[in-house]
Amino acid sequence: MQKSLKISFIAHFIILTISSITLPFLMGRVQAPLVISVDLVQIGDRTNIPYAPKVSDGEKTDKKIKDRVVTEQAPPKIVPKEKPDAVPLPENIKKIKELLEKRQNPVKVEDLTKQTSEFEKKEIFDPNKISALIDKSKKDNSEANNKPSLEATQSQQKNVVTSKLTITQEDAIKAQIFKCWNIPIGLPYNENLTVRIKIKLNPDGSLVSSEILDQARMNTAGQTYYKILAESALRAVKLCNPLKVPSTDYEKWKEMQLNFDAKEMLKG
Amino acid sequence: MKYKILKIIFIFFLLTQKTFALVSVDITRGNLDPLPIAISNFYLDTTITENIKKLSIENKIPELIQNNLTRSGLFFALEKKSFIQKPDIAHNRPRFEDWAFIKSQVLVTGKISLEKEGRLKVEFKLWDIVSATELSALAFYTSPDNWRRVSHLISDKIYERLTGEKGYFDSRIIYVAETGPKVDRKKRLAVMDQDGYGVKYLTLGNELVLTPRFSPTSQFVTYMSYYKNLPRVYLLNIETGIQDLVGDFPGMTFAPRFSPDGKKIIMSFAQDGNSDIYTMDIKTRIVEKLTDHPSIDTSPSYSPDGLQIAFNSDRSGFQQIYIMKSDGSNVKRISFGEGLYGTPVWSPRGDLIAFTKLYKNKFYIGVMRSDGSGERLLTENYYQEAPSWAPNGRVLIFYRETPSDVTGKGGGAKLWSIDLTGYNERLILTETDASDPSWSGLLSVK
Amino acid sequence: MLLNKLNKIILALTVTLFLGACATQQKATTTPTDDAYTGTETVKYLADGVPDRVFFATNKSDLTSAASATLAKQAAYLKANPNLNVVLEGHADERGTREYNLALGERRATAAKNYLISNGIAANRIKVISYGKEKPANPASNALAWSQNRRAVTVKTN
Repeated sequence: MQKSLKISFIAHFIILTISSITLPFLMGRVQAPLVISVDLVQIGDRTNIPYAPKVSDGEKTDKKIKDRVVTEQAPPKIVPKEKPDAVPLPENIKKIKELLEKRQNPVKVEDLTKQTSEFEKKEIFDPNKISALIDKSKKDNSEANNKPSLEATQSQQKNVVTSKLTITQEDAIKAQIFKCWNIPIGLPYNENLTVRIKIKLNPDGSLVSSEILDQARMNTAGQTYYKILAESALRAVKLCNPLKVPSTDYEKWKEMQLNFDAKEMLKG
Repeated sequence: MKYKILKIIFIFFLLTQKTFALVSVDITRGNLDPLPIAISNFYLDTTITENIKKLSIENKIPELIQNNLTRSGLFFALEKKSFIQKPDIAHNRPRFEDWAFIKSQVLVTGKISLEKEGRLKVEFKLWDIVSATELSALAFYTSPDNWRRVSHLISDKIYERLTGEKGYFDSRIIYVAETGPKVDRKKRLAVMDQDGYGVKYLTLGNELVLTPRFSPTSQFVTYMSYYKNLPRVYLLNIETGIQDLVGDFPGMTFAPRFSPDGKKIIMSFAQDGNSDIYTMDIKTRIVEKLTDHPSIDTSPSYSPDGLQIAFNSDRSGFQQIYIMKSDGSNVKRISFGEGLYGTPVWSPRGDLIAFTKLYKNKFYIGVMRSDGSGERLLTENYYQEAPSWAPNGRVLIFYRETPSDVTGKGGGAKLWSIDLTGYNERLILTETDASDPSWSGLLSVK
Repeated sequence: MLLNKLNKIILALTVTLFLGACATQQKATTTPTDDAYTGTETVKYLADGVPDRVFFATNKSDLTSAASATLAKQAAYLKANPNLNVVLEGHADERGTREYNLALGERRATAAKNYLISNGIAANRIKVISYGKEKPANPASNALAWSQNRRAVTVKTN
C-alpha cells in the first residue's frame, strides 16, 4: 500500500514537472521551424476548400504577412496594456502632412468609392451559403443557451491559452477576419472593449457555431458600445464563413477563441 | 492500484489538454470602410390618401436618411436598383439572403400610414442582415409636412443603434449669409437644417452681423451686430423674432457665446485698445469681468460642465489658447505648438477643444485635449476658421475662404464639415456664401 | 536614367523650397514691422497733404514712424479745425481669425487715437470703431492688399 502510494506520488511529481516545464517547451519546438511567409499563402491554396470566402489579392496578403513575420520572430508576447487615456496622435508633423495631403486630395474620395465597389466585385457569392449560415446561426443560439461552455470562460486570458497554431497559420486566419470585420468607427478608442467569440469549425473551414463568451455583458445596461462591437464581430465571423483553413491539424483549430479589439484601429 | 494511478495520470493529461485546447487569436485589425447599408423605400399602407401620395414621401424619407448616413462617413449606402425585395415584404420580414446577396450588412425598411386626425405614422425597422435579426423598430407620429424632421429623427436612431453614440441629424445650423462684393459685403443671419435645407433669413442685411451662436436649447441666438454703427452683442429669440441688446458696454462687445446652462453670455469687451472677457447674466444683467490683462483676450468658450473657460490671448506676444476656471482664476496656457492658435471651442463631450491654427501662412482646423496635449490637425487650407461641434462631438463645421484675384473676384466663403478622423470632409451647400456656422444641439432634446 | 534625373530635380526643388521657407521665416522673425504698407495707393486725404490713414505690420498695432508722421499732420489739421470730430476705423487683413481681428482693429484704432490725444486733440472729439477684417480697402488676396488693409482710417463725422 505504502509502496504504491509512493509510486503514485513520484509518478505524479514527474508528470507535473514534465508538463509544467517540458510541455510548453516541447510545444515551442513544434512551432520552432517558422515557415516563411510565402509558404503561408500556399497552405491556404493547397487546402481543398470548395470555395474560398474571399478571393484575396495575393499580393496584399503576401506583403501583410511578410511584415508580420518579420516583426514577430518570437511567439507572440503579451503586449503591455495601453493606458485607456493614451493619446491617439500622430507623432510628427510629417505624418500629419501626409495625412493632410491625403485628406485634401479630392481624388481620395474617388478612391474610396472605387475601393468599395472593387471590394464588392471581388467577392464570390453563393446564396446557398448564406442560407446555410442562417440555419447554423439559429442552431448556434440554441446551443449557446443550452450549454454554456465551461472550458472557455472570460478568465482564459491570452497568456494562459497558448496558441498552438503556427504564426503563419494564425496570420492566415487573422488576415481573413480582418477583411470581414467592419469596425464600428463610432466606438470610443479610450475604452477597454474586447469581445471574445468562440467558434467551432468543420474540417472544411465552415462554421459550426459561434458564441459570444461574455453574453451577459451584451444585455447589460450601459454596455452599448460592447454590444455594438460584439454584433460587428459576430457579423465578421459570419461574413468570413467558410474560413480558409490549413489542410492539416484539424484538432488544433476546430475550436478557436477570437478576441476582437478595435482599440488600435480606432486610435489610428 | 496501478489502474488507479493510470486513471489519475489520464485525468491529469485530460485536464492539461483542456487548458491548452482552445486556440486564441487576437483580432486587432479590421477595415474602417463605411458599413454597407441598404435603405429600402418605405411603403404606403392602404390608409394613405391621394394628397399624401403626391408628396412621395415613401421615397423621400429613405433618400434623406441615406443622405444623412452617407454624409456621416460611417455608412455606405447600396444602390436601390440592386434591391430585390419589395418594400412591404421586406418590412414584414426580409429574406436575408436577398439582401446579403447585394453585400448589405444592415437594412432599413419602413411603413407609412395615416392615423386619426390626419396624423402620419412613420414606422421603421433596422435589420442585421448577416446575423439575420431585427436590431430595432420604432414609429413616429407627425403631421405630413413634417416628414423631413421625422427622417432626421430616424437617421439619428439608426446612427445611435449602429455606432453606440447619439446622432446629430435632428439639428440646425445658424450662420452668416454673405452676398455682394468683398469690399462691401452684405451679411445676414440665416438658419437652416443641418443638411442645408429650409434656409430662413433672420436679418435683412442692413447692418453687419457676425458670429451667431445657438443657446443650449437652440431657441436663442447670441450674435454681434453693427446696428446704428455700434458693434455690440445681441440676443435673438428665433421663435418670436425679438431682439435684445445685451452687450451695452461703453465700447465694442463681441465674440459672444452661451454658458452651458444658457443663463449667461460670455463675450469680449474692447476698450482703449484692450479686450477682456466678461460674462453677463441674461436675467439679472449682472456683469462679471473674468480676465484683466493688457493683451487681447477673446473667443471664450465654456467647458460643457461650465467649470472652465477656454479662450485665446496674445499675452505671450502671439495668439495662443488658454484655459481658466469659470471665475477667471487659474489661467493656464495650453497651446505650445508652432504657429498661432485661435477660436478654441470645447467639445460637447468635454474631452477635446477644437481650434483654428495659423502656421506658415496656412490655416488648419484641429483638436487637442483640454490640457493641450494630443494636438491633431484635421484639415489644411488657404483660409478656414471658426469650428463648431455637432451635438455628438464627432463632427465639426467651419467656414473656408478661397483667395480672390487682384480685382477681388474669386474669393468666397463656404461651410464645410469634417469628422474627427479627418478623412470625411464635406461641403455643405448653401444658397449664398456662408461663414461663422454654429451648430445647435439636438432639437428633440429640450 | 530618366528616373534618376527626375529624382535629382525633385531633390533640388525640395532643397530650394526648404531654403525658401527658411528665408521667409527669418524675414518674419527678425524684422516683424517692415511689412507695413508705405505707398499711397488706396490713401485718401482729409485735406491737402493730410492722408486719412496709417498702416500697420502683421499682427501689430505699434505706430511706424511713417504712421506717426501722418498722424502728426492729422493732429495739426484737427487743431486748425476745432469743430471737426472724427471716428477712427481700425482694420485688419484677412489672414487672421474674425474675432481676434475685431480686437486687433480696435487696438490699432486706439493706437492712432492715443497719438492724436498726445498731440493735443481732445479725447471727446475722437471715436473709435473696429471692423476687423470685414471691410477691406483692397479685396485682393495678396501681400500688397493685406498690407493696405492693415490700417486705421480717420473719418470725419461732421
